Amino acid sequence: MERARVEQQPAATGTTLVVMVGLGVAFLLFMAFLNVVKSGNLLNESNLLYAALIFYSGAGALYLAFGVTGTPSYVRFASLATWAGLLANTGAVVHRWYEAGHPPFASIYEMLLSFVWTLAVLTLIAEKKYGVKVIGTVTMPVAIVGVVLMQLLRTEVHPLVPALQSTWLHVHVTLAMLAYAACALSFALAMMFLIQDKMKTETFLAATSLFSIATYVSILTRFEKWGGLSVVGWDPEEKAEIFVAKGVRLYVVIPDLGWLMLLVLAAVAAPFLLYLFWRKNPDRNTLEIANRAVFLSILLQSLTLIFFVLRARDGRYGSLDAEGLFPTSLAASPFILSGLVGGIFVSLLYLLLLWRRSDLERMLPSADELDRITYRTIAIAFPLLTLMIAAGAYWANRTWGSYWSWDPKETWAAITWLVYAGYLHMRVTRGWRGRRAAYFAILGFAVVMFTFFGVTYLLPGLHAYA
Amino acid sequence: MAATVHSVARKIWQSLSAIKTGVILLIIVVIISAAGTVILQRPVTEGDEMQRAYSPQMLRLLDGLGLTDVFHAWWFVLLLTMVSLSIIAASVQRFPNAWRFFSRPYKSPNETFRNALPGHVLVPIKDKDEEAALTVAERVLQKAGFKPERIVRENSFSLFGERNRISEMAVYIVHASLLLIFLGGIVDALYGWRGYVTLTRGQQSSQVQPQNGSTRNLPFAIRCDGAGQENYADGTPKRWWSDLAVLENGQVTLRKQIVVNDPLVYRGVRFYQAGYGRTGKVDKVILDATPKLGGAAREIALGLDETLPLDADTTVRLAEFIPDYVVRDGQVYTRSNDLENPAAHLVVESKRSGQAVNFWLPPIPGFEQDASSPYAFEAKDAQMAYFTGLEVSHEPGQWSVWAGVIVMGLGLAVVFYFVHVRVWAVPVRDARGKLLLWIGGSANKNKDVFEQRFRRLIEQIESELKVSSEADAEAPTASIAG
Repeated sequence: MERARVEQQPAATGTTLVVMVGLGVAFLLFMAFLNVVKSGNLLNESNLLYAALIFYSGAGALYLAFGVTGTPSYVRFASLATWAGLLANTGAVVHRWYEAGHPPFASIYEMLLSFVWTLAVLTLIAEKKYGVKVIGTVTMPVAIVGVVLMQLLRTEVHPLVPALQSTWLHVHVTLAMLAYAACALSFALAMMFLIQDKMKTETFLAATSLFSIATYVSILTRFEKWGGLSVVGWDPEEKAEIFVAKGVRLYVVIPDLGWLMLLVLAAVAAPFLLYLFWRKNPDRNTLEIANRAVFLSILLQSLTLIFFVLRARDGRYGSLDAEGLFPTSLAASPFILSGLVGGIFVSLLYLLLLWRRSDLERMLPSADELDRITYRTIAIAFPLLTLMIAAGAYWANRTWGSYWSWDPKETWAAITWLVYAGYLHMRVTRGWRGRRAAYFAILGFAVVMFTFFGVTYLLPGLHAYA
Repeated sequence: MAATVHSVARKIWQSLSAIKTGVILLIIVVIISAAGTVILQRPVTEGDEMQRAYSPQMLRLLDGLGLTDVFHAWWFVLLLTMVSLSIIAASVQRFPNAWRFFSRPYKSPNETFRNALPGHVLVPIKDKDEEAALTVAERVLQKAGFKPERIVRENSFSLFGERNRISEMAVYIVHASLLLIFLGGIVDALYGWRGYVTLTRGQQSSQVQPQNGSTRNLPFAIRCDGAGQENYADGTPKRWWSDLAVLENGQVTLRKQIVVNDPLVYRGVRFYQAGYGRTGKVDKVILDATPKLGGAAREIALGLDETLPLDADTTVRLAEFIPDYVVRDGQVYTRSNDLENPAAHLVVESKRSGQAVNFWLPPIPGFEQDASSPYAFEAKDAQMAYFTGLEVSHEPGQWSVWAGVIVMGLGLAVVFYFVHVRVWAVPVRDARGKLLLWIGGSANKNKDVFEQRFRRLIEQIESELKVSSEADAEAPTASIAG
């Protein structure tokens, strides 16, 4: 009786999930159809990007569906969808390059475009060359977040400001995108390793909760009086952030969002607290409750996401920095947006791990092999990171007369480099293999993401272009 | 006493060279640098902005801890020095061993080594035919790029082949490159400087203003022969440029047009295009001067305070130029430095009579154009004077940094992609006295890949041995003849 219950429950939730994902894809397709009808032009950049989004979402959904139902053919279709997405993505890159007359590296939008492209290429390489068939389960959601952010951050083709007219910029950013995509892949592989290594789901639960807690705590640093949340103001006409002074952004307060975020924080912290409680008194029931709490936190996070999207899209809000009401936009707060999506994503990942373990394992190389491939990806990422920093320093030296000025982006790039250097040293001198190495690879990618997004939107800096 | 000093020194050396120390130091560096990116930093952030961001007590605390200028604090420099020392110590301690390995490769394995090596196989060979077997192995290894050599000892001979021995040194190359970069950074911190100089067209200067408010004299002067801005069609700036000339003892020794990404370098001092803007002063006003007594109009160009003869008797001088004027209470005021609503004040003088006449362009009520002027003027154009802002820097250590970067690139390539692989082949006899070819191989990393490769090599050697022994059996004469 007990066993039957355990087996049935996930299957039922699994179907719900598949249906939800399917509805999502159908909605996207419908929107795409409307878009084509409206513009009357099939092959423009926005449609190509939209196609890429649909295919990547399809691939991600199929990978997830495989995770839930264990139907092997889903993986094959997912791979096909990834190919199709890559094709559309390539089209968008070429289109942008042609239209702008320079490689797409000048703004955060263009860099995301290149990043997602590289990530898709690496995913397919990992799949074909190393046989990590379900790697897309992790990389595709990252790609989807990337494309969604791109839709929000869409910028007109701007001519390059003088400081950016340098071959070294292209070298620097190309290397950065390659390195970051390699880091993303090593992260995905480390996750796959943890699945294959039969990591205890409880430990994974603790890790994902901690990640979500850290994300929401950093979002809540902008909590304001009476439960509002400060977000960056956005000028819809200029398509740019509003500045009160040079380098100082204007913040507007969205009412109630702060309370909602606080609630979400409580919801994602609950599984962690339950885990801690379980550590003290091992009792399966506690974990059952924790699993339910994860499910609840996904619902709450989704609600918050919808609330945030609706409130940020229209309406004008007061500001603590200036008189009057100002609009904002999703594009002004990519950190909050990616934080919410990332939080939902890791919780889903946990549920995935909980539901179907043996099927996933069959689709993966052995744990040892995964460990080695992770190392090999980092062996590619680390030299690229090194050269990326060097090219950036050389460019800065030609432009500002100083190769290193400790600005936040530079400092965080150095920190990223140090984290991966630590990984390599621990592996070589201390023989760190397997789980500890995997944790290190995951930490490395978290730092990469912070360098890429967090520094730009959270820290005061001079690296104004990205 | 001497002994304790010695042992203390050794203790310090040992703890410096320990990996643990290095890792702890690096973690501290990471934490402090991360803090330095979260807390607003002094030289970049203005003082009043700091006061707005933090409460006075907080600011005093942060200042006291040196956290408002982390990256230039003495203790941060000390920390980086400690990291360098730790890298040196760790490398020095491990280097002799690696160097022995590198400089004196182990070529003829003894029995203990042969038995202990994990990757080895024993291939049976024909009796009394070690030579032929080794030749076969030599050929296979040669083809695989191992450059095998025969090792001949008093009572044995064997085969040794290897690739990429440099891989054993790679880690030291990378560490040395890191030290080169640090060295460059330290040299620049001690002897480098940065400053700023503003020039207008035709102006020259040999003084640079560093950020601390003092002045620094250069052994040469820099002159601006022109500066400008080009825009895209939508009005955003496309290019800023300055024509610069370097003067030494009054002689021009170098000329260069600099743009934003392309500085002028002279004697280790680099000049960057960093700013560009209006000075609010006029460079040239273009006027048409028409004699009132009749005659053709003449175009003249006047700089501020410049006097130009119009005929044998009359001169004209540009006394004032206001780019954006406004009249209030019978006075002319400057509203802005933009060329919005310009007014020029000319003084027309007669040498003979010594009489000076004021002439305002355009006519301003209350400042009527003097009718007694022998010339009428009409404004055609006004060119404003622009300044160019040059960032000046001297970084004598940068070459060490770039050398370090290149060495590091090469070193990392060797670390990750050059595997030191070694293969030995030794004819041995087993317990029953049967002749065997012992073949062993080892790699210093990516062992799994090497394992497959080694297996293929063995298969090849085995099959070639078989072929040659079959050929021997079938046509011994041919073999001898061959």
